[in-house]
Amino acid sequence: EDALVAAPQNISILSTNMKHFLTWSPVTVQGETVKYSVEFQGEYEREYANESWIPICECSLITATVCNITDDISATVAYNLRVRADVGARRSEWGTLKGFFNRITTSLTPPLMKVIADGYHLLVELEDMGPAFQFCVLYWKKGQESRMQQKVVEEVSSVVHLDTMEAGPDYCVKAQTYVEAINRSSSFSQTQCVRAEGGTSMWL
Amino acid sequence: SVTEIRSGFTAIKANIQARDPIRTLSILSHPHSLHKVKLLDRCCITHQLFNFYVDKVFKHCKTEDSFVNRKISSIANSFLIVKRKLGQCQEQNKCLCGQESAEKYKQILANYEGLNVTSAAIKSLGELDILLDWVEKSG
Repeated sequence: EDALVAAPQNISILSTNMKHFLTWSPVTVQGETVKYSVEFQGEYEREYANESWIPICECSLITATVCNITDDISATVAYNLRVRADVGARRSEWGTLKGFFNRITTSLTPPLMKVIADGYHLLVELEDMGPAFQFCVLYWKKGQESRMQQKVVEEVSSVVHLDTMEAGPDYCVKAQTYVEAINRSSSFSQTQCVRAEGGTSMWL
Repeated sequence: SVTEIRSGFTAIKANIQARDPIRTLSILSHPHSLHKVKLLDRCCITHQLFNFYVDKVFKHCKTEDSFVNRKISSIANSFLIVKRKLGQCQEQNKCLCGQESAEKYKQILANYEGLNVTSAAIKSLGELDILLDWVEKSG
Protein backbone atom coordinates (compact mmCIF):
# COMPACT_ATOMS: atom_id res chain seq x y z
CA GLU A 1 0.00 0.00 0.00
CA ASP A 2 1.47 3.40 -0.99
CA ALA A 3 3.09 5.10 1.97
CA LEU A 4 1.61 8.47 2.82
CA VAL A 5 3.65 11.54 1.91
CA ALA A 6 4.52 13.70 4.90
CA ALA A 7 3.32 17.27 4.86
CA PRO A 8 6.08 19.88 4.66
CA GLN A 9 7.33 21.08 8.08
CA ASN A 10 9.19 24.09 9.47
CA ILE A 11 7.29 26.47 7.22
CA SER A 12 8.45 30.01 7.79
CA ILE A 13 8.75 33.43 6.21
CA LEU A 14 11.89 35.37 5.47
CA SER A 15 10.92 39.01 4.89
CA THR A 16 13.41 41.79 4.40
CA ASN A 17 12.80 45.19 2.82
CA MET A 18 9.35 44.21 1.59
CA LYS A 19 10.62 41.09 -0.19
CA HIS A 20 8.89 38.06 1.24
CA PHE A 21 9.94 34.41 0.88
CA LEU A 22 8.22 31.29 2.15
CA THR A 23 10.59 28.46 3.09
CA TRP A 24 10.12 24.92 4.42
CA SER A 25 12.10 21.80 5.21
CA PRO A 26 12.44 19.27 2.38
CA VAL A 27 10.29 16.16 2.46
CA THR A 28 12.43 13.13 1.69
CA VAL A 29 11.14 10.01 -0.04
CA GLN A 30 13.81 7.47 -0.92
CA GLY A 31 14.59 7.41 -4.61
CA GLU A 32 11.76 9.81 -5.55
CA THR A 33 11.48 13.41 -6.64
CA VAL A 34 9.33 15.50 -4.33
CA LYS A 35 7.52 18.52 -5.72
CA TYR A 36 5.84 21.28 -3.75
CA SER A 37 2.93 23.65 -4.31
CA VAL A 38 2.15 26.86 -2.43
CA GLU A 39 -1.13 28.66 -1.83
CA PHE A 40 -2.03 31.87 0.00
CA GLN A 41 -5.14 33.32 1.63
CA GLY A 42 -5.59 36.96 2.52
CA GLU A 43 -7.98 38.49 5.01
CA TYR A 44 -10.40 39.14 2.16
CA GLU A 45 -10.50 35.45 1.24
CA ARG A 46 -11.06 34.48 4.88
CA GLU A 47 -13.75 37.03 5.61
CA TYR A 48 -15.59 37.39 2.27
CA ALA A 49 -14.71 34.51 -0.06
CA ASN A 50 -15.47 31.34 1.89
CA GLU A 51 -11.91 31.00 3.21
CA SER A 52 -10.74 30.25 -0.32
CA TRP A 53 -7.05 29.68 -1.12
CA ILE A 54 -5.20 30.98 -4.15
CA PRO A 55 -2.43 29.00 -5.82
CA ILE A 56 0.84 30.69 -6.73
CA CYS A 57 1.55 29.27 -10.14
CA GLU A 58 5.27 30.10 -10.03
CA CYS A 59 5.41 27.81 -7.00
CA SER A 60 3.26 24.96 -8.28
CA LEU A 61 5.01 21.56 -8.48
CA ILE A 62 8.46 23.00 -7.83
CA THR A 63 11.39 21.07 -6.37
CA ALA A 64 12.84 24.06 -4.53
CA THR A 65 11.91 24.58 -0.87
CA VAL A 66 11.51 28.33 -1.17
CA CYS A 67 8.88 30.49 -2.89
CA ASN A 68 8.96 34.22 -3.58
CA ILE A 69 5.56 35.41 -2.42
CA THR A 70 6.32 39.14 -2.66
CA ASP A 71 3.86 39.89 -5.47
CA ASP A 72 1.01 38.18 -3.68
CA ILE A 73 1.56 39.75 -0.27
CA SER A 74 0.44 43.08 -1.66
CA ALA A 75 -1.75 44.47 1.10
CA THR A 76 -1.08 45.20 4.75
CA VAL A 77 -3.43 42.49 6.00
CA ALA A 78 -2.88 39.10 7.67
CA TYR A 79 -2.08 36.31 5.23
CA ASN A 80 -2.20 32.55 5.65
CA LEU A 81 0.21 30.41 3.64
CA ARG A 82 0.40 26.67 3.03
CA VAL A 83 2.56 24.11 1.18
CA ARG A 84 2.00 20.52 0.19
CA ALA A 85 4.20 17.85 -1.36
CA ASP A 86 3.61 15.63 -4.38
CA VAL A 87 5.50 12.42 -5.09
CA GLY A 88 4.35 10.90 -8.32
CA ALA A 89 0.60 10.37 -7.90
CA ARG A 90 0.78 10.66 -4.14
CA ARG A 91 0.03 13.92 -2.38
CA SER A 92 0.59 15.10 1.18
CA GLU A 93 -1.69 17.03 3.44
CA TRP A 94 -1.15 20.80 3.53
CA GLY A 95 1.47 22.14 5.86
CA THR A 96 0.34 25.57 7.02
CA LEU A 97 2.43 28.48 8.28
CA LYS A 98 2.00 28.81 12.02
CA GLY A 99 0.23 32.11 12.58
CA PHE A 100 -0.42 34.80 10.02
CA PHE A 101 2.08 36.83 8.08
CA ASN A 102 1.58 40.59 7.73
CA ARG A 103 4.09 42.57 5.70
CA ILE A 104 4.13 45.19 8.40
CA THR A 105 6.63 42.90 10.14
CA THR A 106 9.17 42.97 7.34
CA SER A 107 12.64 43.89 8.55
CA LEU A 108 13.92 47.16 7.11
CA THR A 109 17.66 47.58 6.70
CA PRO A 110 19.46 50.91 6.37
CA PRO A 111 19.97 51.84 2.71
CA LEU A 112 23.29 51.47 0.95
CA MET A 113 24.52 54.96 0.32
CA LYS A 114 27.53 56.62 -1.32
CA VAL A 115 28.33 60.24 -0.57
CA ILE A 116 30.27 62.12 -3.24
CA ALA A 117 32.02 65.45 -3.10
CA ASP A 118 32.00 66.63 -6.69
CA GLY A 119 33.92 69.87 -6.51
CA TYR A 120 31.80 71.99 -4.16
CA HIS A 121 28.69 69.85 -4.70
CA LEU A 122 27.54 67.43 -2.00
CA LEU A 123 25.90 64.49 -3.74
CA VAL A 124 24.48 61.17 -2.53
CA GLU A 125 23.85 57.98 -4.44
CA LEU A 126 21.14 55.74 -2.96
CA GLU A 127 20.37 52.08 -3.55
CA ASP A 128 17.25 51.47 -5.63
CA MET A 129 15.10 49.34 -3.34
CA GLY A 130 11.90 49.36 -5.36
CA PRO A 131 8.80 51.54 -5.70
CA ALA A 132 7.63 51.02 -2.13
CA PHE A 133 10.68 52.87 -0.73
CA GLN A 134 11.31 56.52 0.01
CA PHE A 135 14.48 57.88 1.66
CA CYS A 136 15.06 60.45 4.34
CA VAL A 137 18.55 61.91 3.96
CA LEU A 138 20.06 64.03 6.74
CA TYR A 139 23.16 66.17 6.13
CA TRP A 140 25.07 68.66 8.18
CA LYS A 141 28.36 70.44 8.58
CA LYS A 142 30.51 68.44 10.96
CA GLY A 143 30.28 69.91 14.44
CA GLN A 144 26.99 71.64 13.62
CA GLU A 145 24.67 68.71 14.26
CA SER A 146 22.05 71.12 15.57
CA ARG A 147 21.71 72.59 12.09
CA MET A 148 21.00 69.26 10.43
CA GLN A 149 19.08 69.47 7.16
CA GLN A 150 16.72 66.89 5.71
CA LYS A 151 15.84 65.85 2.19
CA VAL A 152 13.12 63.33 1.33
CA VAL A 153 13.86 61.35 -1.79
CA GLU A 154 10.73 59.70 -3.16
CA GLU A 155 12.19 58.10 -6.26
CA VAL A 156 15.71 56.89 -6.68
CA SER A 157 16.65 57.70 -10.21
CA SER A 158 20.17 58.99 -10.09
CA VAL A 159 22.54 60.91 -7.88
CA VAL A 160 20.81 63.37 -5.54
CA HIS A 161 22.22 66.85 -5.05
CA LEU A 162 22.12 67.82 -1.39
CA ASP A 163 24.03 71.04 -1.01
CA THR A 164 26.75 73.32 -2.23
CA MET A 165 29.65 73.08 0.16
CA GLU A 166 32.11 75.63 1.42
CA ALA A 167 35.78 74.77 1.10
CA GLY A 168 37.29 73.47 4.35
CA PRO A 169 34.69 71.92 6.69
CA ASP A 170 33.59 68.30 6.50
CA TYR A 171 30.05 67.57 5.45
CA CYS A 172 28.33 64.49 6.86
CA VAL A 173 25.38 62.49 5.58
CA LYS A 174 23.21 59.62 6.78
CA ALA A 175 20.01 58.11 5.39
CA GLN A 176 17.09 55.87 6.32
CA THR A 177 14.33 54.28 4.25
CA TYR A 178 10.59 54.89 4.71
CA VAL A 179 7.85 52.56 3.46
CA GLU A 180 4.51 54.36 3.25
CA ALA A 181 2.49 51.16 2.75
CA ILE A 182 3.41 49.99 6.24
CA ASN A 183 4.26 53.41 7.69
CA ARG A 184 7.64 52.30 8.99
CA SER A 185 11.26 53.46 8.66
CA SER A 186 14.59 51.67 8.80
CA SER A 187 17.35 52.68 11.15
CA PHE A 188 19.89 55.16 9.82
CA SER A 189 22.85 54.15 7.73
CA GLN A 190 26.40 54.75 8.88
CA THR A 191 27.37 58.42 8.63
CA GLN A 192 29.68 59.29 5.76
CA CYS A 193 31.63 62.56 5.64
CA VAL A 194 33.35 64.27 2.75
CA ARG A 195 35.02 67.56 2.18
CA ALA A 196 35.12 69.86 -0.82
CA GLU A 197 38.52 70.90 -2.03
CA GLY A 198 38.84 72.65 -5.30
CA GLY A 199 37.53 70.59 -8.15
CA THR A 200 38.66 67.13 -7.00
CA SER A 201 36.47 64.56 -5.31
CA MET A 202 37.62 63.83 -1.82
CA TRP A 203 36.71 60.93 0.47
CA LEU A 204 37.25 60.81 4.18
CA SER B 1 -3.21 51.52 -0.58
CA VAL B 2 -4.91 53.40 -3.45
CA THR B 3 -1.61 53.43 -5.31
CA GLU B 4 -1.29 49.69 -4.87
CA ILE B 5 -4.90 49.17 -5.91
CA ARG B 6 -4.25 51.23 -9.03
CA SER B 7 -1.14 49.24 -9.97
CA GLY B 8 -2.93 45.96 -9.34
CA PHE B 9 -5.84 47.05 -11.52
CA THR B 10 -3.63 48.38 -14.29
CA ALA B 11 -2.07 44.93 -14.56
CA ILE B 12 -5.43 43.29 -15.36
CA LYS B 13 -7.55 46.14 -16.73
CA ALA B 14 -7.40 45.10 -20.39
CA ASN B 15 -8.11 41.47 -19.50
CA ILE B 16 -11.12 42.34 -17.35
CA GLN B 17 -12.59 44.93 -19.70
CA ALA B 18 -12.28 42.44 -22.58
CA ARG B 19 -14.58 40.12 -20.61
CA ASP B 20 -17.33 42.78 -20.53
CA PRO B 21 -19.31 42.65 -23.79
CA ILE B 22 -21.92 45.22 -22.71
CA ARG B 23 -20.29 48.52 -23.66
CA THR B 24 -23.48 50.58 -23.63
CA LEU B 25 -24.09 50.34 -19.89
CA SER B 26 -22.21 51.63 -16.87
CA ILE B 27 -22.56 50.64 -13.24
CA LEU B 28 -20.88 53.69 -11.71
CA SER B 29 -21.59 56.40 -14.28
CA HIS B 30 -25.23 55.84 -15.26
CA PRO B 31 -27.16 58.15 -15.48
CA HIS B 32 -24.73 60.63 -13.91
CA SER B 33 -21.04 60.40 -13.38
CA LEU B 34 -19.58 60.31 -9.90
CA HIS B 35 -18.14 63.73 -10.57
CA LYS B 36 -21.56 65.31 -9.97
CA VAL B 37 -21.55 64.23 -6.31
CA LYS B 38 -21.44 67.11 -3.82
CA LEU B 39 -18.36 67.50 -1.62
CA LEU B 40 -20.30 66.74 1.57
CA ASP B 41 -21.46 63.40 0.25
CA ARG B 42 -18.15 62.19 -1.18
CA CYS B 43 -16.82 60.46 1.89
CA CYS B 44 -20.05 58.55 2.37
CA ILE B 45 -20.27 57.53 -1.29
CA THR B 46 -16.63 56.42 -1.21
CA HIS B 47 -17.29 54.30 1.86
CA GLN B 48 -20.44 52.81 0.35
CA LEU B 49 -18.61 51.98 -2.88
CA PHE B 50 -15.67 50.32 -1.12
CA ASN B 51 -18.20 48.24 0.84
CA PHE B 52 -20.01 47.47 -2.43
CA TYR B 53 -16.87 46.14 -4.07
CA VAL B 54 -15.84 44.09 -1.04
CA ASP B 55 -19.30 42.70 -0.29
CA LYS B 56 -20.68 42.21 -3.78
CA VAL B 57 -18.14 42.50 -6.58
CA PHE B 58 -14.82 40.73 -6.00
CA LYS B 59 -16.24 37.35 -5.01
CA HIS B 60 -17.99 37.05 -8.38
CA CYS B 61 -14.91 37.87 -10.44
CA LYS B 62 -13.11 34.54 -10.29
CA THR B 63 -11.52 33.72 -13.67
CA GLU B 64 -9.64 30.81 -15.19
CA ASP B 65 -6.53 32.96 -15.23
CA SER B 66 -4.31 32.51 -12.14
CA PHE B 67 -2.53 35.82 -12.64
CA VAL B 68 -5.83 37.71 -12.84
CA ASN B 69 -7.18 35.92 -9.76
CA ARG B 70 -4.07 36.84 -7.78
CA LYS B 71 -4.32 40.48 -8.78
CA ILE B 72 -8.02 40.53 -7.83
CA SER B 73 -7.02 39.13 -4.44
CA SER B 74 -4.40 41.85 -4.11
CA ILE B 75 -6.96 44.55 -4.95
CA ALA B 76 -9.60 43.05 -2.67
CA ASN B 77 -7.23 42.85 0.31
CA SER B 78 -6.09 46.43 -0.29
CA PHE B 79 -9.75 47.48 -0.43
CA LEU B 80 -10.15 46.10 3.09
CA ILE B 81 -7.54 48.57 4.36
CA VAL B 82 -9.27 51.60 2.82
CA LYS B 83 -12.71 50.33 3.83
CA ARG B 84 -11.49 50.02 7.43
CA LYS B 85 -10.12 53.57 7.44
CA LEU B 86 -13.37 54.93 6.02
CA GLY B 87 -15.27 52.96 8.63
CA GLN B 88 -13.28 54.70 11.33
CA CYS B 89 -14.18 58.07 9.78
CA GLN B 90 -17.84 57.12 9.85
CA GLU B 91 -17.61 56.07 13.50
CA GLN B 92 -16.16 59.50 14.28
CA ASN B 93 -19.02 61.15 12.39
CA LYS B 94 -16.64 62.55 9.80
CA CYS B 95 -18.30 60.72 6.92
CA LEU B 96 -21.95 61.71 7.03
CA CYS B 97 -24.45 60.27 4.56
CA GLY B 98 -26.95 62.67 3.06
CA GLN B 99 -29.89 62.27 0.75
CA GLU B 100 -27.81 62.52 -2.37
CA SER B 101 -25.40 59.76 -1.43
CA ALA B 102 -28.32 57.49 -0.58
CA GLU B 103 -29.90 58.10 -3.98
CA LYS B 104 -26.61 57.78 -5.81
CA TYR B 105 -25.82 54.48 -4.15
CA LYS B 106 -29.36 53.22 -4.79
CA GLN B 107 -28.84 53.99 -8.50
CA ILE B 108 -25.55 52.11 -8.58
CA LEU B 109 -27.17 49.09 -6.94
CA ALA B 110 -30.01 49.23 -9.47
CA ASN B 111 -27.51 49.32 -12.33
CA TYR B 112 -25.68 46.38 -10.75
CA GLU B 113 -28.78 44.30 -10.15
CA GLY B 114 -29.97 44.99 -13.69
CA LEU B 115 -27.40 42.51 -14.98
CA ASN B 116 -26.67 38.91 -14.12
CA VAL B 117 -24.28 38.76 -11.19
CA THR B 118 -21.13 37.70 -13.04
CA SER B 119 -21.55 40.28 -15.81
CA ALA B 120 -22.32 42.96 -13.25
CA ALA B 121 -19.29 42.03 -11.14
CA ILE B 122 -16.90 41.95 -14.11
CA LYS B 123 -18.30 45.26 -15.41
CA SER B 124 -17.91 46.85 -11.97
CA LEU B 125 -14.34 45.60 -11.71
CA GLY B 126 -13.64 46.95 -15.18
CA GLU B 127 -14.86 50.37 -14.04
CA LEU B 128 -12.45 50.47 -11.09
CA ASP B 129 -10.39 53.21 -12.73
CA ILE B 130 -13.50 55.42 -12.77
CA LEU B 131 -13.75 54.96 -9.00
CA LEU B 132 -9.99 55.43 -8.42
CA ASP B 133 -9.86 58.57 -10.58
CA TRP B 134 -12.80 60.01 -8.68
CA VAL B 135 -11.36 59.06 -5.26
CA GLU B 136 -8.00 60.62 -6.12
CA LYS B 137 -9.63 63.76 -7.48
CA SER B 138 -11.81 64.01 -4.42
CA GLY B 139 -8.53 64.05 -2.44
